Amino acid sequence: MVVLGAVIGLVSMASFRSTPASLTLNTVAPTNTSAIASTVSVAPMTTSPTTSPATTRSATGSTVNYNFGTLAVQVTVNGTKITKITVPSLNDGGNYRSQSIDAMAIPVLTHEAMTAQSANIQSVSGASYTSAGFTQSLQNALTQLGI
Amino acid sequence: MKTATSETIWTMRREEEVMGTVVVLDLYADASVTSDALAPSLRAAIHELHEADRIFSTYDPASALSRVSAGTLDLANAPRVISDVLELCRDARELSDGWFNPWGLAGGVDPTGYVKGWAAQRALEQLRAGPARAAIVNAAGDLVCYGVPRTGELFRVGIVDPFRPDSLVALVDLRAALATSGTYERGAHLIDPSTGRADPRLASASVSGPDLGMCDALATALSVAGEEMLAIIDSLAGYEAFIVGLDGTRRWTTGFALAGVTDYNLTAAV
Repeated sequence: MVVLGAVIGLVSMASFRSTPASLTLNTVAPTNTSAIASTVSVAPMTTSPTTSPATTRSATGSTVNYNFGTLAVQVTVNGTKITKITVPSLNDGGNYRSQSIDAMAIPVLTHEAMTAQSANIQSVSGASYTSAGFTQSLQNALTQLGI
Repeated sequence: MKTATSETIWTMRREEEVMGTVVVLDLYADASVTSDALAPSLRAAIHELHEADRIFSTYDPASALSRVSAGTLDLANAPRVISDVLELCRDARELSDGWFNPWGLAGGVDPTGYVKGWAAQRALEQLRAGPARAAIVNAAGDLVCYGVPRTGELFRVGIVDPFRPDSLVALVDLRAALATSGTYERGAHLIDPSTGRADPRLASASVSGPDLGMCDALATALSVAGEEMLAIIDSLAGYEAFIVGLDGTRRWTTGFALAGVTDYNLTAAV
């Protein structure tokens, strides 16, 4: 969760950079994050240009356990910007409840990750069941991409 | 006078695994506020969520609520918040004309449809007491905020399209709470108390208002009751609703803070 938080922070920074019209803030990084650094990420808003190369790459995160089985998340990025998140591997045991949950939870999870990049929307509302497993695999995929 | 362009704001995100889900807390702070200064209120907020989980878990047979429900713990000897929440559930049952009914099923009382929103609201109140200028808590799709992310700009949030989950059906200006309930969430709390069946009449039901616990309960009631519940919510001071019918039709009460009906596709947008 630690690295993921930082990754999401980085990703949202990149997105804010790409949408300067919607954000005109100066950036101030916190002076000290040590007190709660183990679980909290800080995502300063900025409009400064990014120097990341805009190449499209993708990676699949490690298969992780979640409440109803196992899943793996695949992420595609352009530079440091997430352009697509899918779940190519999902084993939920095949029972009705877990399938109906997955049918909605996975899209909402991808929403949440993508929303971090949408400077005009701060959050998303929808019936959902979120899983730490999703973020764990996503973190792993992004780490593979060096993001 | 401070203008938007001279504002300096930074954000802090915490993702907390609790109540069988992940709760996301976003804090917005002025430059003069350090993360150390935010920490106590954030810790208090997280504590509220875990306390709610510990006391109200229906999965843990040893939780106070489970024992009250099983009749092995007297309500008078249980944590006071259980009585408080059950009282709030009675209010919600009355306001929803019986459509939200935690007592509607066999096996005792199940206030789950209220507790998640209630707990997130309490977490937000802890943040409000701290130095952050604004904050938004997302408890698995149920949202509550205070303040504004920037001067002159409200929190803007999206409602997920129940038919195309990679899209949004609406954009909403959020001033307090917004809960969404849907057919894909067929937990016990979405069972029609009049038929005993999981039989939602809407694809998606969202309710906005001052309190997330009540929004959560009313969204559940709306999802099960269908359009007849729209008029009831419309008559409640401060509460508004947005629905997507089983045929995809979108309707909303006149006071709903709709910032746009949209087919905005997150995947295509990037």
